[in-house]
Amino acid sequence: MPFLIKNEKKIKSSEITPEKTYLNRRTLIKSLGILSAYTPVSSVLAENDKINQASLTFEKNSKFSTTETVNSFEEITTYNNFYEFGVGKSDPYRYSRNFKPKPWTVSVTGEAENTGTFAYEDIVASNQLEERIYRLRCVEAWSMVVPWVGISLMDFIKKLKPNSKAKYVVFESVFRPNEMPGQKRRILDWPYVEGLTIDEAMHPLAFLAVGLYGRELTNQNGAPLRLVVPWKYGFKSIKSIVNISFEEQQPKTTWNLAAPNEYGFFANVNPEVNHPRWSQARERRIGSGLFGAKQPTLMFNGYADEVSGLYRNLDLRKNF
Amino acid sequence: MKHTVRLIIFISLIPFFDLSLKAFGIYAGLGANPVETIIHTTGVWGLRVLIVVLLLAPLGYFSGLELFRQFPKPLGLVAFFYSLMHFLSYAIIDQSGDIKIIIVDIIETPYLIVGWGGFLCLFFVGIASHKRLQTWFNKNRSTISGIVYTSAVLAVWHYFWQAKTVEIEAVIYIFTICVLIVWRLKVSMVKN
Repeated sequence: MPFLIKNEKKIKSSEITPEKTYLNRRTLIKSLGILSAYTPVSSVLAENDKINQASLTFEKNSKFSTTETVNSFEEITTYNNFYEFGVGKSDPYRYSRNFKPKPWTVSVTGEAENTGTFAYEDIVASNQLEERIYRLRCVEAWSMVVPWVGISLMDFIKKLKPNSKAKYVVFESVFRPNEMPGQKRRILDWPYVEGLTIDEAMHPLAFLAVGLYGRELTNQNGAPLRLVVPWKYGFKSIKSIVNISFEEQQPKTTWNLAAPNEYGFFANVNPEVNHPRWSQARERRIGSGLFGAKQPTLMFNGYADEVSGLYRNLDLRKNF
Repeated sequence: MKHTVRLIIFISLIPFFDLSLKAFGIYAGLGANPVETIIHTTGVWGLRVLIVVLLLAPLGYFSGLELFRQFPKPLGLVAFFYSLMHFLSYAIIDQSGDIKIIIVDIIETPYLIVGWGGFLCLFFVGIASHKRLQTWFNKNRSTISGIVYTSAVLAVWHYFWQAKTVEIEAVIYIFTICVLIVWRLKVSMVKN
């Protein structure tokens, strides 16, 4: 009874590109050398990239998810700030192919009971994966809505048992100039370092993402493991983490070191405190089209109800 | 000679045609942030063409070729065209044409004030180059060229200032413009 079976998407087997053909195309594009730099980003290529990522098993966490329209996989994977692969928005998409996110280990150091080196599989397998659809607001005044898959940072930290001296959690990205062409130049002080106060890190919204759109993270999005702190500007959400350290002192973070008057340690999304060189009052939602108007930026990126308690005694103008 | 000038003008407008075709989705799109792509492309090409305009003087000087004297005006207009497109795409597409919002945005964004200054310089030169003002234009050539150099300085400053980090491309343009200014000052000192 064929009409009883209802397929959501009908794909003829003739429409599927065999893997070999697909890989050949890739090699061809690569071998075109200089031309590949001008390869237009296409939805066909993005769709292929998506299929290439291993799929994950997870539960949807609707309590922490926004119902806003989610950005496409193509938008999320072709428009990134990941200076390790270059400063252009499409550089991470173009120049992250040689990065090898597996095998991967994360070392935990500092003021905690369970320090040591953890394999990626131990971090991820020992926890229940969940999907959270978060808004992402870049300090450059654009935003997206991203369906992340990962684990609660709080759950992970609890297992590491930080002691009472652990006031800050410091994260460090991988340093592999041979696989990350952007690191060959000192645009920033590599490796990339970010940090949170222990209270921020233990907030239920703080998230360790390992996936995107139900599949493992693509290299350009911070594979295999990245932070997602939705109420802070995107640069706080450090990618490709290799080191987590519990410390007593506030760490020197990368963007804060690069321009202390422009990027603070807290970097909470705040429409009332402008960047010294541009306004933060409004943002452009990626995917809003050529004539879509900018939308107002919300305090703490719309997560004020959940997180404003963390900053009750803090002057947000001084601690930007 | 006329054909060469036309050809050069055509070539200088290729990035604009490319952008227009992409905007209509003819062979590729404008990426995830089309507004940014349009603003950035028109702006950076305005600056590049402006630098080429400044390069024409030393090229003509050292080669002695009459050809290079034909380009400054038409290429200057191309640079003005790009910067006009740059400003209009910012004002109409990015800021939805809301004058109040634009004024507040320009005041809050220092690099926009600088860019606006550079645009006004080119706008002034563009008007002054009109046929009816030809005698006045020819009489005040050194003032006009001073304004063009000023607009290049403001444009590259605007470009450098909007980036989050120091970009190599901006550094190359700054260096080129500095060399051109020094050369120009030296030549005019020798003349006097």
